[in-house]
Amino acid sequence: MTTSPQATDDARSWRGGRVRWARLFRQFGTLIGFIVIVAFFSWQKPDTFMNVRNWMNITQQVSILGVVAATMTIVMVLNDFDLSVGTMASMVGIVAGTLLRDGYMLGVALALGLLVGAGGGLLNGVLVSYIRISPFVATLGTLTMFNGLALYISGGTTIFGRAIPTALSDFGRGGIYLGIVDGQRITLPYLTIITLVVLIVVWIVLEQTVFGRRLYAIGGNMEAARLGGVRVRMLRLMAFVISGMGAAIAGLMLVSRLASANPTQGDGLMLRAIAAVFLGMTMSEEGEPHVLATMLGVLILGVLANGLTQMQIDTYIQQILTGGIIVLAVTLSSLSRR
Amino acid sequence: MAHPQPAQAPAEPAPLLHITGANKAYHGIPALVDASLTLRAGEVHALIGENGAGKSTLIKLMAGVLSADSIAMAVRGQPVNFREARDAFDAGLRFIHQELNAVPTLSVAENVFLNQRYPTRAGVFVHWRRLHRQTRDVLAQLGITHLAPGQIMARLSPGDQMLVKIASAFVDANPSASGERAAAIYVMDEPTAALSTAEAARLFEVIDRLRASGCAILYVTHRLDEIFQLADRVTVLRDGRVVDCVPIEGTTAAGLIRMMTGRDLQQVYPPRGPDVQVSERVLLDVQGLTTRAIHGVSFQLFENEILGVAGLSGAGRTELLRALIRADRVLAGTVALNGSALQARSPAEAWDQGMAYVPEERRSQGLVLSRSISDNITLPHLRHLARRGTFLNHARERRTSAEMSEAVRLKAEGVTQATWQLSGGNQQKTVFARAFARSPQILLLDEPTRGVDVGAKFDIYTLIRKINAQGTGIVMVSSDLPELIGMCDRILILRDGALVHTVQTEALTENELLTLCYGELSDDNQPASH
Repeated sequence: MTTSPQATDDARSWRGGRVRWARLFRQFGTLIGFIVIVAFFSWQKPDTFMNVRNWMNITQQVSILGVVAATMTIVMVLNDFDLSVGTMASMVGIVAGTLLRDGYMLGVALALGLLVGAGGGLLNGVLVSYIRISPFVATLGTLTMFNGLALYISGGTTIFGRAIPTALSDFGRGGIYLGIVDGQRITLPYLTIITLVVLIVVWIVLEQTVFGRRLYAIGGNMEAARLGGVRVRMLRLMAFVISGMGAAIAGLMLVSRLASANPTQGDGLMLRAIAAVFLGMTMSEEGEPHVLATMLGVLILGVLANGLTQMQIDTYIQQILTGGIIVLAVTLSSLSRR
Repeated sequence: MAHPQPAQAPAEPAPLLHITGANKAYHGIPALVDASLTLRAGEVHALIGENGAGKSTLIKLMAGVLSADSIAMAVRGQPVNFREARDAFDAGLRFIHQELNAVPTLSVAENVFLNQRYPTRAGVFVHWRRLHRQTRDVLAQLGITHLAPGQIMARLSPGDQMLVKIASAFVDANPSASGERAAAIYVMDEPTAALSTAEAARLFEVIDRLRASGCAILYVTHRLDEIFQLADRVTVLRDGRVVDCVPIEGTTAAGLIRMMTGRDLQQVYPPRGPDVQVSERVLLDVQGLTTRAIHGVSFQLFENEILGVAGLSGAGRTELLRALIRADRVLAGTVALNGSALQARSPAEAWDQGMAYVPEERRSQGLVLSRSISDNITLPHLRHLARRGTFLNHARERRTSAEMSEAVRLKAEGVTQATWQLSGGNQQKTVFARAFARSPQILLLDEPTRGVDVGAKFDIYTLIRKINAQGTGIVMVSSDLPELIGMCDRILILRDGALVHTVQTEALTENELLTLCYGELSDDNQPASH
């Protein structure tokens, strides 16, 4: 311990002038990568990629991921994970879908869906924070539970058609009319608006409140935070509740967008949300997650999916490329940190 | 007390280990200055000194885990240069550390052979039967018959685990067992700390046997009675320098204590302000405070008082402060603050009721190193600085932390600088600034000046006086005895988790204080009250 500062001093002195470039690259490397990707698709698909309508489309495509990634950021600020968000979104969708099918009011179905999300998050939080199971194991367990519950409640079938009210499905497809650009009707999708609201709330919570500052303190040094007067257990619990609610919102958005509730439709969200947070973390000097950086990660994933699909790249190849780009970004960032 | 000298070749052979001119400084603060040490074949050599005297630095240099600024080291007359732990191991040095660095999930046999190649079949598969047999042999050598090689480490008592770790240092004590050079030099750092009397006695027998077989043992301890029981010679370190190296015959415990504490330069402590008097008013009333580590501690702290806490390591000093700030679970006892019971169940609640805490390890317990000075100073006070207790008021945080930084004379580029970039002294000042920020009623300090350079030390002492003059009661744990005597009004002395003495510092000498910490010695070694 006593030798480590000396070691960094030495490393800094022999690296000399390269330090400034390394720092610049470290902070903006991911942003530069994003710009390169956008430039590449603009060059490859000049007509269909770089226009307002497609970008509105991209924001809608990433809106659901955006919500999960934003609330996942809160958990990851604590150095924890929530692996259960994907199956939680599926389960909340099934709960809401089942209620709607059985004739409950839309408002009741949505409210109960959110409540289920908060309850699931509370379970995660209690397991991690009070019973002290590692977040990986605890949320892996609840991931499986939520998956089973979704399948059990739905009987393994998809709820669709008249069971889903048109008000909900229209919301998922619709948006606010903005005007006509280049002869195209431009609307700001409602789902994008929801994501923007969640983003702003999460940003305020993390960057502008006592709660957020304490979360960062816990993530930096849990013991020092506790001795310095932070209620670590309560705050960790709350972070998981928020993450559960984010997953619930995403699950309801999925029902709205797809006009159906399938017991596995949210399952892919978890890995992509964590990937987005990691992409964002490459932009932080201290390796801390920040929600705006997470959104850049979300956009990178969204633009890749959109652009590669437009180039008619096979979806299997898309996965290989996306995974490779994530690994590359994190590798470059950790190399520049040495 | 004297040991029969083992048979030696008449011609004086080269010593097993010879160190001269060892120098090591951390961030410009010298930890070892021109230290020397000679270990002869067939001797038990004790190494003693106060905390921070340089014992562990010297051992780390011998182990090759720390590189010296300059050192000349020879094993059996051959110059050596240890660059890593393996080099020391290959030269025949074995280390038994105070902390248990065992792998709790592995078996006794696997832990014994942790640093060795396991015996194998066909060079690949572990030869479990032979591993267990060899382990049994090693354990038997130490007279340990109650442990089986297959037992899982985690299931053993701490004392038994320590015995296993000790056994692992003896794996190749028998030269015939392997082709490699046998171990010849054993360095034991407080090996009996976790052992029962019977276990310790067994270890002493092994040490005697090693000595008789021509090995050298460097024995580091705080327990003077063990030195008189075991050692042939003793080297005393003080402030990084070797005070003397003397044969144990003709030395007394009092003499050793004097050698450990006698100081060339007197540390200067800022005096208490002329109009500051310890009042009669009880600020903190602690009755029967009990946790897993301390037992029934009762004391009172008066307004404007600085109360010291002394004791050997493991006596429960840190744990007393942790109990007061509610970092450890309190099993029994009451704490009254200003006459009303302290209702806190967590550090957060304790801070809110007017307690403040500077923990022992500033890097692991005090600071969030990734965050700025300002974030660290304001952490316990965020609600008070925030708008409506919820929304951060960045300007006010910066102003407060700038004021506090000024008050503690923190040297930094600004309050937004990350704390990992600061020197040890400035990091400590950051932790102090946090503790002072809301003028606490009680300030708990654990080793407030450890690893801090002389200038910063004086700043911190001045600061303690200043905050104390404002009426804050201070409880201060320190291993630096002159510091306790120089700063405190009274000193509590803890031993094995219990409060054994309370002394006034007026006219108290360092020797007396250290003697009280050590407790009763056997009669003939009783340090004379001269």
